[in-house]
Amino acid sequence: MAIKGGKQSTAESLRKTRTFGKIRCHNPSCMERIAPEPGSDHAKCPTCGMEYRLFWVNDNLPRIRGPVWDVNRELAERTFAEKQAAAAAKKTNKGGK
Amino acid sequence: MALNRKIAYINLTTGEVKIKPIPLEVRKKFLGGRGLDAYLLYNNTKKGCDPLGPENALMISGGILTATCASATARTHVMAKSPLTGLLGSANMGGFFAPEMAWAGFHHLVITGKAEKPVYLFLHDGEIEIKDAANIWGKTTTDSQWAIQKELGDEEVKSCVIGPAGENLVAFASVMTGVKNAAGRTGMGAVMGSKNLKAVAARGTMDIKIAHPVEAFENNKKFIDQITSAKVNQTQGSLGTPFIWGATNSWGGLRTHNFQYNQLENADDIEPERIDEIATETIGPYHMAGCFGCQVHCRAQYRIPSGPYAGKYDEGPEYTSLGAFGAEIGCRSAETLLTGNHLVDQFGMDNLETGSLISWAMELYEKGIITDKQTDGLELTFGNDEAALEMVRRIAYRKGFVADALASGGIPATEKFGKESFDYLVQVKGMSNLHSDERATPALALNIATASRGSDHLRSRPAIDLYHLPEKVLRKIYGSPIPYDGPINSEQTSYEGKSWMVFWQENVYMGVDCLGICKYHTTFLGATLPNFEDWPKVIYYNTGLEFTPEELWTITERCNMLERLFNLREGLERNDPVKGDVLNHRYHDEPCRRGAPDVIGLYIDKDKFDTMVDELYQYKGLDKNGRPTKKTLKRLGLEDEPSHLV
Repeated sequence: MAIKGGKQSTAESLRKTRTFGKIRCHNPSCMERIAPEPGSDHAKCPTCGMEYRLFWVNDNLPRIRGPVWDVNRELAERTFAEKQAAAAAKKTNKGGK
Repeated sequence: MALNRKIAYINLTTGEVKIKPIPLEVRKKFLGGRGLDAYLLYNNTKKGCDPLGPENALMISGGILTATCASATARTHVMAKSPLTGLLGSANMGGFFAPEMAWAGFHHLVITGKAEKPVYLFLHDGEIEIKDAANIWGKTTTDSQWAIQKELGDEEVKSCVIGPAGENLVAFASVMTGVKNAAGRTGMGAVMGSKNLKAVAARGTMDIKIAHPVEAFENNKKFIDQITSAKVNQTQGSLGTPFIWGATNSWGGLRTHNFQYNQLENADDIEPERIDEIATETIGPYHMAGCFGCQVHCRAQYRIPSGPYAGKYDEGPEYTSLGAFGAEIGCRSAETLLTGNHLVDQFGMDNLETGSLISWAMELYEKGIITDKQTDGLELTFGNDEAALEMVRRIAYRKGFVADALASGGIPATEKFGKESFDYLVQVKGMSNLHSDERATPALALNIATASRGSDHLRSRPAIDLYHLPEKVLRKIYGSPIPYDGPINSEQTSYEGKSWMVFWQENVYMGVDCLGICKYHTTFLGATLPNFEDWPKVIYYNTGLEFTPEELWTITERCNMLERLFNLREGLERNDPVKGDVLNHRYHDEPCRRGAPDVIGLYIDKDKFDTMVDELYQYKGLDKNGRPTKKTLKRLGLEDEPSHLV
């Protein structure tokens, strides 16, 4: 019968993978786990430099409320310029061949 | 027992009501809720029927688990051919209506015809009355519900209703119950309005017999623990769905200014934590409410803090309202956001479609495609909060050229605004996109392009793709109940393996919609929430029906295929820009300009996207054109549809 057996389902078995007290950097290819000081309202990613404002749902559950806007903008503008320059260089090289 | 609930056919033209049992054979093939409604829609409508004509069939239903001992069986599903898209119309909502309908003896209603004058239906203990709604017509959604309770002399009566938008046949009018629970997408409120049907009210005292009550309760305790211990649901219970908006805006996954940007900078005042600080009776652990039988409690309550509507009570705002009256229109004011949310709730209009179309009109206005003369002097610019709210009012009552055009839906409006306007309409199958930007997330882009009711996040979105879960965890989740050893990738910006994730999610969401439970109780926003492997027990203990996880998977595939058959019958073609499985050109042509560094410059590669669609079609058993093969229809037992079994 379909319901027999005490084996854990996948969802139940994955409970042990839950982590508390940490956030993940929102930068997609970074996704570094960051463990902010309990109760702190800011956190910086040690890997990519993104900075975040925090909210604590409870003592063990921080969440990213949003980025620190000026840091975010500076990083975004720099990256955009770098990517544009790289694309332009690629185009030039291609044209020269 | 739960399976004894009936199906009622109501013809509003003749006043005839037929009540029938739901054959077990049909239950076993389509379960209930959305799946069974898809069967009823396909069997009770004819190709090319007018969505606003009497021949369109309107279904209202609960799931197979509604009102049992299972958790969160609150969802009321509404289905018909959509006046917004001309394809599948389908939406569901929380609250308390579906359980009341079940206690009144009914699980499914099939409503056809058109009443001569405004009416409402009253379902009570196995009977259905068609009652005069003359005194209720014209009222807002909440006033209508309170008026029905007063007329029937019972405060326990629950109703699903339309507001002025539904009466005025706004193509994206909602069906609503309670203050903010909305079956908002695809214009089901307009279908009710076209039938002169103001409301369906229910009051029931009939017993729901549970097959194995002790085991059902014990099993549900485990379910509740699994659900409430998840981080995502703890956060939902504190901040509601706006918590997703804040996180999405953080990395640049949000749609703003009609898809011109992917992040609304300095939007601190409309983050949920800030709303909690400045509005009264608002978001926060002590102000959250829940739907029937749900422990997540994600429904915030608030009073508007200032402005012309100061003190008005409402609920939410949900993620979609933060998009509609925040990011999309370039607004950063909590007052505007909360007021906009209140207005669409009161008028009975889909917040998502409303905000999207207004932001589209704003871009057209700024580009000179819509003129001052056409807006009657209204300066329809991004960041003009008052103009946005004025547009909400005008759309509900179809006042003025622009609002009337928008009220017909995006695609019909392009005929009035001119051909060029279509380029800026961010839609799939005629329905506007969620206020998220999927250019950095191919899996999510595939989801919205191929979802059965048009651009939509609740039909096949692998939201957990954003969590960077380890590959072995992804393999565990996506490799059950059907073994899968193909490619899979933890990177949200990758195209690899995403088509399988979308296929899997499409089936899991169909599953919860058939059961009648909320998506926050399955693998939607949390990776550790119940799905196929967990459902056989809850179904068996509550109804006595036995299924294996694999059988449930096949049922969900079957129901999804039936929705596909309906759409194909009504004109879906793979590459049709209006009715196809395609994205607006901006996804492919305009890279992201804001957000986290890794998001900058990303766009959806057209060739890779087409490959994903090919893969998804293969998993679903469709040919290259998106049509099911004979083999697929036979495997799913759909070769004889429409079969008219009930």
